[in-house]
Amino acid sequence: MSADDDHWMFYFDPNRCIGCHACSVSCKQRHNRDADADDWRTVSHVSSGEYPDFREVPISMSCMHCHDAPCEQVCPPDAIIKREEDGIVTVDRDRCIGCHYCAWACPFGAPTYDEEGLMSKCNLCLGEGPGGGHGQPERQTPEEGGAVPACVDDCVGGAIKAGPKSEIMQEVSEEAAERFEQGAYEGRVIVEPLKEDGEMADSIRNGDELNIVDMAR
Amino acid sequence: MHPSCNGEVNSITECGRGQREYRGCQPMSSDSSLELSRRRLLQTGAAVTAAAAIGGCLSSGEEPDPATTPTGDEEYAYGNCWMCHHACGQELTVREGTAVDITGVDEHPRGSAGPDTPGTLCPKGQAELEKLYDPDRITEPHIRKDGELEAVDWDEAIEYTAQRLHEFDDEHGAEKMLDATSWSTTNFHGFFWGNLYGTPERIGRGRHVCFGGPHLSGDLMGLGSNMRFVDYQHSEYIIAWGRNIFESFAGQWEPKGVLEALDNGATLVVVDPQHTPTAQKADYWLPIEPRTDGALALAMGHVILEEGLYDQTFVEEETYGFEAYEEAVADKTPEWAEDITGIDADVIREVAIGFAEAAPAAGIALWTGVGQYGEAQKASQNVFALNGLVGNIDRPGGFRMWQAPPLANPFQVRDIDLPNNAEGATPALRTYDEYETYPFRHTTGIGHTVVPEMVDNGHLMGMFCHYDNPLTDGSTQAWLEALETMDLVITIDAYWNELTRNADVVFPEAIQLEKDTLINYAPTWSAYHDRRWISGSKAVHEPLGEARPGFEILVDLAEEMGWGEFVPWETEAEYNEDMLANIDYTFEEVAEQNFVLLEEFGYEQWKENGFPTATGKFQFDLDQEEGYVQSAMELGIETGPQWLPPGTWGEEPDDEYPLHFYDTRSVFFSFGADQPLAQLHEQYARKHNLENEEYRGNYLVLNPRDAEPRGIETGDMITVESPAGSGELMAYVSERTRPGFTTAEFGFGTGNSHEEGMNTMLVHDDQHDPVSSQPDRHLAVEVSATGGDN
Repeated sequence: MSADDDHWMFYFDPNRCIGCHACSVSCKQRHNRDADADDWRTVSHVSSGEYPDFREVPISMSCMHCHDAPCEQVCPPDAIIKREEDGIVTVDRDRCIGCHYCAWACPFGAPTYDEEGLMSKCNLCLGEGPGGGHGQPERQTPEEGGAVPACVDDCVGGAIKAGPKSEIMQEVSEEAAERFEQGAYEGRVIVEPLKEDGEMADSIRNGDELNIVDMAR
Repeated sequence: MHPSCNGEVNSITECGRGQREYRGCQPMSSDSSLELSRRRLLQTGAAVTAAAAIGGCLSSGEEPDPATTPTGDEEYAYGNCWMCHHACGQELTVREGTAVDITGVDEHPRGSAGPDTPGTLCPKGQAELEKLYDPDRITEPHIRKDGELEAVDWDEAIEYTAQRLHEFDDEHGAEKMLDATSWSTTNFHGFFWGNLYGTPERIGRGRHVCFGGPHLSGDLMGLGSNMRFVDYQHSEYIIAWGRNIFESFAGQWEPKGVLEALDNGATLVVVDPQHTPTAQKADYWLPIEPRTDGALALAMGHVILEEGLYDQTFVEEETYGFEAYEEAVADKTPEWAEDITGIDADVIREVAIGFAEAAPAAGIALWTGVGQYGEAQKASQNVFALNGLVGNIDRPGGFRMWQAPPLANPFQVRDIDLPNNAEGATPALRTYDEYETYPFRHTTGIGHTVVPEMVDNGHLMGMFCHYDNPLTDGSTQAWLEALETMDLVITIDAYWNELTRNADVVFPEAIQLEKDTLINYAPTWSAYHDRRWISGSKAVHEPLGEARPGFEILVDLAEEMGWGEFVPWETEAEYNEDMLANIDYTFEEVAEQNFVLLEEFGYEQWKENGFPTATGKFQFDLDQEEGYVQSAMELGIETGPQWLPPGTWGEEPDDEYPLHFYDTRSVFFSFGADQPLAQLHEQYARKHNLENEEYRGNYLVLNPRDAEPRGIETGDMITVESPAGSGELMAYVSERTRPGFTTAEFGFGTGNSHEEGMNTMLVHDDQHDPVSSQPDRHLAVEVSATGGDN
């Protein structure tokens, strides 16, 4: 129910996200994608309440490189690969047939489809461009010479982190670690509990997968 | 793909990429900074070794040879972001002469949270990469021939402009030329237009169009004109007063610093009529009735005095005019303020006590929110008085007085006997009887809203705009007419808009990344609370097309005007070198490292230096400031803190125009020159869930309680109307804004470089703060559905 220790994961702290979309732009530019293409990393602004009891939370999401990779399981031509060496989920665009099964299976709405109809998504900056991660050698950490993922590199609030699970777990709060161990978000991403109160905050705090995903999509 | 650029890459060499190589030559390195730079070092692999072989700190000055560079053809260059001009460090990845990626610089004073922290770039800063290759940029010089703008070569453009300037001087007199330079990367324009051409007419940004009221209040009270920032990292209590620090910041060090303070347990209070990303993170959001900040501040002062929580020693020893303050707040109870501000009296009490108890580690961040309405000078005076009251000035966690590096005057460095051809000339505002009705003439030489009138009167007949667009700054319709009337309009710009299209000369400017740039615009406030610093960078490669650095354009023009003997520099880098004459780094050295930290400075600098005011003390009362006293007498206001209700000078909504209309800044744009970039206007649309509309203009944010009776829904095109005019834009209906309070992002539509959407100043007439001259951007309007769905 959880990733291997050396598999890469994303971490997100809504308390530090200022909702600026620097992650989305950074991703687009790193991977040389047009401004109007669907984002591999999106920022949603989830709000509720009437003025002045208004609340809003920014949520940055991308492919989470799930330990159970539902997209891989449904992909008819086996174009999607959950890599054993680093846990990164890549797509072989030579095999992709553009059937959108992965989009239906993905809990995070991560797959995007370009003019060719083929799927592309976050590859954790293992490579550059659509399909860029496919067939690359094992992901190296920045300390080992690997690239810092673009979204992490330019996150103004320091809200996004990525790395092997064992390393990321050392940087999260006790609360987040505990919640993660208890299976929040089905162990696919580590999310810091929101410090704000309010109904919406409660649902995020509870780690209710349906809520965070539904709200952000 | 980015178009390939033929220009030469000014490689900074691997030596310049991290801090580690500089341990021997800059004072900032630490073991932890070594860690931070590690990722960058390792990315370059063996190239580091190659650079080390060249010799540590020095740039090789040679072109890297791709054949022998083990990493292939990847190089790195630096920039200092000029998208909002607050100079966050930029690092570019360059492949085969083309920049392909951009990110922040670790530990940068403006782009990080300080020592041992990573540097990043906000969306604007990242989009400068797109601007570098934007095919919509102006890339050739243009001059007006037979009524039409025509592309010409540089020689012809310079010759034509010099001739027109001589003719202008003969016909009108040099004193009728207005220097409207904003964001040039040097201060050379001041010498060019003032000393050499000889005009006393100069309009700037901070004081004149950005936050005139607080700028003036800060100056006269003793805080200085850069009164926007708190010593965030050390603060226990931060009040973002009409400031949206997480979305509109003067360098990313601001949101990063606030987040750090919150991590440390600080309390964040946001005073804003609209819910913002900053309010999302706040402990208290005070959804204040618009333009009643002055009342809230006086009531807070009342509580602090009543509770005996003020800093008695500071007040007695370091301030002037406390009696006037006591008198002003005596009857300003929280209950009094509750009626005016809509903020519960108990909350006012709680915040006042919290602020005073946390002081001196408590600070107020205030900028345009309490800067751009009619009564803003007096409102900001009331707010700033709280700093003097609790004694947080230049103390850890309070209001910080940052120090600039000792930059030199390049003319003095070169021993140039520079004439002052403007000597004896006074600005028209202070010369002619026509302007006696403008009280701000006692404290400044010009006002943005009065310029069209001065043009009508024949007192201003020409203008030089360098990366400035007055059409976005207020009185837009009158300014459009003034452009027609002026005899000579010269612009240095990167985009076509109503200003450049109406100019007589259009010089295409290289952008910051294409220039050798030293940040000499206020290198003060930063994540380093106790260090001076300077930041610089060399051009990543040659400019697009025929574009050139603005400095070189003015140098050529000076030569052609016959002033060659006064202008010995050929390049901006040479001028920068002279600016650094008093600093132990050459421009090359600064640029190779992107930034250097200089000497330390301590807190409580007023102990030694006093305050830069008439009395040498922090001034609650401005009755010793001569110009201010005259303005106050003409206006019939107090010189001390005073409550001036909205509508004293500004507009109040009425039956015909029942809605407040105020413009705002989103994180994607600063001035009008960012809006044309697709990455930015695309994400701006996505943030509003309106990406599926073709429209890429700005949005009018209005509450459902205002939208529903008018039949307006998100995505509808609507008309905004005031007595002065109207404009059209798309509606965004949201509970984030106060009923009756509508806002729109500034810098779109007619007059701007991105012409889709509405220029908010089309509905502005000549409203302004009569004390400071700041255009009053807070208007009364009506909105109605017009075009149906777009």
